[in-house]
Amino acid sequence: MNTEKNSAISIEQLRRNQPRFEGIKSGHRACLGCGQALAARLVTEAAGPDVVVANATGCLEIFTTPWPESAWHIPWMHSVFENAGAIASGMEAALKAQGKSTKVLAFGGDGGTFDIGFQAISGMLERGHNVLYVCFDNEAYMNTGIQRSSSTPHAAMTTTSPPGSERMGKRHLKKDILTIVAAHHIPYAATTSIAYPSDIRKKVRRAMDIEGPTFIHIHCPCPLGWGHDGANSIKVARLAVQTGLFPVIELERTELIGSMPIRHPKPVVEYLKMQQRFRHLFTTKDARAREELEHIQALADHNIKHFNLQGDTMDALDSDGADTVRRGGMRWA
Amino acid sequence: MNTKLKLTRGGFAWGDTSCNYHTGTWRVQRPQHEYRAAPCHASCPAGEDPQAYIALLDSGKPQQAWEELVSINPLPAITGRVCPHPCETGCNRGDYDQPLAIHSIERYLGDLAIEHDWAYPVTAPPADAPHIAVLGAGPAGLSAAWHCLRNGLQVTVFDEEAEAGGTLFTIPNYRLPDDVVRAETRRLLKAGINFTADFKLGREMNLDELQRRYAAVFLAPGVMKSSEWSIDGVTPRDLHQGLHLLKEWGDVGALPPMKTAVVIGGGNTAIDIARLLVRNGVDTHIIIHSSMPDPAHPLADDMRAMPREINQALEEGVKILNHHGIKRLLLRGEKVTGIEIIRMRKLPDDNGKLHRIAFDGTESILHVDQVIPAIGQIVDQQGMEDLVHGEHHIKVDAWGQVAGSENVFAGGDAIDGNGGTVTEAVGNGRMTAQAIAMKLKQQGLPVIEPPVVVHYENLNTEYFEPAPRAEQAVLPVAERVGETEIEAGLSVQQVEKETRRCFSCGSCLSCDNCWTLCPDNAVLKSKKMAADGSYYVFDYDYCKGCGLCAMECPTGYILMVEDI
Repeated sequence: MNTEKNSAISIEQLRRNQPRFEGIKSGHRACLGCGQALAARLVTEAAGPDVVVANATGCLEIFTTPWPESAWHIPWMHSVFENAGAIASGMEAALKAQGKSTKVLAFGGDGGTFDIGFQAISGMLERGHNVLYVCFDNEAYMNTGIQRSSSTPHAAMTTTSPPGSERMGKRHLKKDILTIVAAHHIPYAATTSIAYPSDIRKKVRRAMDIEGPTFIHIHCPCPLGWGHDGANSIKVARLAVQTGLFPVIELERTELIGSMPIRHPKPVVEYLKMQQRFRHLFTTKDARAREELEHIQALADHNIKHFNLQGDTMDALDSDGADTVRRGGMRWA
Repeated sequence: MNTKLKLTRGGFAWGDTSCNYHTGTWRVQRPQHEYRAAPCHASCPAGEDPQAYIALLDSGKPQQAWEELVSINPLPAITGRVCPHPCETGCNRGDYDQPLAIHSIERYLGDLAIEHDWAYPVTAPPADAPHIAVLGAGPAGLSAAWHCLRNGLQVTVFDEEAEAGGTLFTIPNYRLPDDVVRAETRRLLKAGINFTADFKLGREMNLDELQRRYAAVFLAPGVMKSSEWSIDGVTPRDLHQGLHLLKEWGDVGALPPMKTAVVIGGGNTAIDIARLLVRNGVDTHIIIHSSMPDPAHPLADDMRAMPREINQALEEGVKILNHHGIKRLLLRGEKVTGIEIIRMRKLPDDNGKLHRIAFDGTESILHVDQVIPAIGQIVDQQGMEDLVHGEHHIKVDAWGQVAGSENVFAGGDAIDGNGGTVTEAVGNGRMTAQAIAMKLKQQGLPVIEPPVVVHYENLNTEYFEPAPRAEQAVLPVAERVGETEIEAGLSVQQVEKETRRCFSCGSCLSCDNCWTLCPDNAVLKSKKMAADGSYYVFDYDYCKGCGLCAMECPTGYILMVEDI
């Protein structure tokens, strides 16, 4: 490192010389503290320049391409909501026919993955295309105004699952998309979170090395839709992992081959109370609110048991250790 | 951009073109790098910034680390051994698991410099530079001399003794070996400090003459006279003061004959003499009305000695009767045969002021051959009677200037209100040298403001891991017989681990968090250090002001400020 102080560092020059590959550039129109924008940059950074992207409709597509501008630094194509899987399949077949080794990525939000685009993804997986599909999960249709999706967690408030006399937020449970995807007998399917950038990169690199369909599911807090300060996006994401509500796991051909252990599981209340979408569970004396809090705690406890998440010793890669910093930034490698 | 290419409306856009749009216009608050003092820095009486030298050591630059350290404190091998390290009491890591072993790192660097004979980094002052006289070659005098040199002044240190070190030689060898004192002071003098030995103020020269011959005079005579002590006006004939015995032991290596003794006082001198007596087979009590110190629950009337020293004394067999005082001396003729002691405590009155209260009915007798007071020392006034005016200490302002005198300054144990530690003396010396340099340049002395400190709540400790504190090896009690130093320094491996424990409070750790986590790529990493001392630059063209970087900064180095 050069220790000479320099007051006249050229911003222009610095932007051009960042020691990392950025698949998404600045100037995109994501909200303040957007988890998805961060996740997409981390994914493209690890995937590298030799990729093409098919992107389903959703926040990511909207905020990166306000016509006539684009924030993408890699070949990128917008499909429609339901067919990112199909477009990616076609791209992959075309590149294969040309004898090119460029990897195809498919990006979708939880709406485009869990609900609308599901049949196309299922087909892509079943046909065994060499595509890495990345689902940026912000747990509702945020782009269109926070409507519930099948990824919205139980009891969360959205505009289409409002709490009231009938229901305490969303009635149904969050769909276990990872197991469903893995049931296609694909070589690799994993979950990860923006709270652990090194984990995202590690998993993207692993998936990039696999010839065949792979799937990465990234938990991305949405400050607007979840109702928390944009400054807290990482904190909220970390708590989702530390409470057990979002298990960070890896599956190979349906087998659980790895999980990020939770060193000290935190009560779900710590996660829920940071978000306005769960405020009805705290602002009422309603007995149903208490029940729902217990229900969500039970879901977390079930995850911890089911995926064997409880850590027994201090592990450098557990939910507390995986984000440890060192002087000089070595941990993010 | 290829403008000739005809494209379908809405169907195509060139990559990276979003950069034309500056999302920075959305911002209502802006992140800013803001250095704030780590508590170790704010609480160091010498003014050291441990975070700064630990960072250099952690980056694999031990010599630069030492140079950073001695730019403030020229005696690290010494203070690393004897300082009560308020830095560690302040250390934010103490709220997380255990404070950093800063004193051990300081000592390690000091010892390393001795081992490698590193030269003190300073350029020689010009031949026509003003010449400063420093009286006393103890820690305050040596520190002042060093900092005068660093400020481009010539300097001569005068001392009564044949070699530099002063009061440092009265600290027992098992805590601070004389060899260490010599190794450090001799190398320091070689940096360009003139030393005149066997000089006594009032004998060789008086203060007036010094003032006439030199541009400024710094007095650091220490406190070489013991405070007067008696019980209701009665003193035994063969009274030996603690400091006197320590000095005698250092010079002659012998103690007056005794089987049992009681030491009065709760400071480091009392502990030192008690431990020395125990080593010489004397059954020793310490009597003190204060409380035993507990770093976790400090009390206003805690014993002033370092808890570590007290614990080691207890281990070695010193018996401490705290919350006790002497009521009466039992004399056979003028010789002591024992003391009558009584339980007492310092208790607050209605105004919260502490007073000693003795509890009737708790008197008991302790048979001893010697009563040894170690209740404090005062300035020897010889040669500066006009300055001290019969007081016990010299009165100075915050910059060390003696009231009513243009070019006389003072520091160290001799000044009023000094805590009596080596580190504080080093701090006085540094501040005063700075004041002298500014005065000589006809600059006014600014008001000293306390630094803005970064607290535990300002850190994001999610990014740190618990790790046990490195402890120095301590000689088992059975082997603590002679002069052998009790505590060993840390090994290289221990130091490496320990430096990594530093939170780097209030300063950039170069951890890449802000750069990695900004969703807008608005934090840029730089190879050259930016003007604010970090390797990151905020790109305000795109920063939306979300505050994520500030929230996730582990060290509290990023602050959000309004920006409308």
